[in-house]
Amino acid sequence: MTNPKLHLIDTDIHERVQYSQLLPYLPQPYRRYIEDCSWIQEKHMPFTQPAVAGVDRADAVVPDGRPAGSDLPFMQSQLLDEIGHEFGILTGALDPSPSSMHGWYEMATALASAYNDWQIEHWLEKDERLYGSVHIAAQDPQGAVKEIERVGSHKKMVQILLPIDDKLWGDPYYHPIFEAAEKHDLMIGMHHNEPPVHYGKWPRYFIEWHTLIPVAHMTMVTNMVFNGVFEKFPKLKMMMIEGGFTYVPFLMRKMDQQYRDLRHEVPWIKRMPSDIIRKHICFTTQPLEEMTKKEFLQTFEHMGTDEIVSFSTDYPHWDYDSPYEALPKGLDEGLQRKLFSENARNFYPKLPQLKEEE
Amino acid sequence: MEEVVCRTEDLQPGEMMESRFGKHEIVVCRASDGHYYAFLNRCIHQGAPLSKGKLCGAPEPTDNLGEYKFERDGDILRCPWHGREFDIRNKGCMLANEKFKIKNFKVMEKNDEVIVYK
Ligand code: FES
Repeated sequence: MTNPKLHLIDTDIHERVQYSQLLPYLPQPYRRYIEDCSWIQEKHMPFTQPAVAGVDRADAVVPDGRPAGSDLPFMQSQLLDEIGHEFGILTGALDPSPSSMHGWYEMATALASAYNDWQIEHWLEKDERLYGSVHIAAQDPQGAVKEIERVGSHKKMVQILLPIDDKLWGDPYYHPIFEAAEKHDLMIGMHHNEPPVHYGKWPRYFIEWHTLIPVAHMTMVTNMVFNGVFEKFPKLKMMMIEGGFTYVPFLMRKMDQQYRDLRHEVPWIKRMPSDIIRKHICFTTQPLEEMTKKEFLQTFEHMGTDEIVSFSTDYPHWDYDSPYEALPKGLDEGLQRKLFSENARNFYPKLPQLKEEE
Repeated sequence: MEEVVCRTEDLQPGEMMESRFGKHEIVVCRASDGHYYAFLNRCIHQGAPLSKGKLCGAPEPTDNLGEYKFERDGDILRCPWHGREFDIRNKGCMLANEKFKIKNFKVMEKNDEVIVYK
């Protein structure tokens, strides 16, 4: 079923849970709040209109009417078999997103555990191509570490998922999470949830917000690097998911120039920020802007490497990128191999390596 | 070459369906004026199956910020993925940039049949 030419490792696939499916994994009293009080996580986005079926691909709604991403067999036929994935990394639907909750950390921690158990049972253990993300409630670092200790050694968990939202995870307060990640060979996957990129508020239009999501990603890269996370945890790497990568050349240059001027403020940083980025951070491609081959290659030239970008579809969301259509035509095979699989394989230590004969 | 792609009663105004024309997978649309239009069932952006999108209307371009005049209901085919809008009564031109259009086929109606021809 795997497409031998592509060997695609898709670094962003959103499986979706329905709250009722979490109930068997939730202890009381938390279960009761969902069952009896219709608890759902607070959400803020005032827009549902981006595409014809909201934020999902209209053709990804499960034929029986369940929401896109909620059914494994349908995902297999529409995505994994159809494209011929070698592996796919599940990144959740960020609903629930325990680390984004503003209060009631106990509920957040319980939800994260329930989510992990559900993900393992219904996805990771049902399809050998799928690998998972450990969900945690990071606002309670001790609880988060306990959860990482509980499920982090599962052989198909490859990263810890943190939302890009309204908290800056580079703060030393959260470092126990990175310590636990490093211990279990887990990387950090950062995916935006509903980041307030407009001075803490929402703009009038979705198009404004969606255009500037990379700003939230830049904020987080800058924060993680200058707070010394990668100096303190040398084995740790971070996947920036769904912010694209064309902002990276700008950010590298800007951070390097700032570092030359302001190093005295962050003396724990001992390498050029762009070197830290090249060594520790990888960026997923989607949502790709339409570029000519020349423009596309220039971006890598400015980044000084083509080994820190990894293809992602973002299935089943409306801004899905097709591995066959989204990249400029005529890229040489070596580069395609890096983008489609090699870079992701080198990034995640827990992903199987290619067998000799391949 | 000509081929019956559906019967006229298969579609009400504002509806669309998948069909075939030779080796092509096509989408047949019936616009608000009752006429039939046919296009390759493949978006020019990234290849999504257009028939899974929506035949709807679109807010008209306006000089007034904040004004939504939703017009042409049933005449605009929106892609199921990134939502690009194509005007089925104007050769399938993209609303955001008329230089681009989805591939259209010639259509005629004869004796309750919708026929695509070359
Ligand atoms: S594939 Fe149709 S708008 Fe992108």
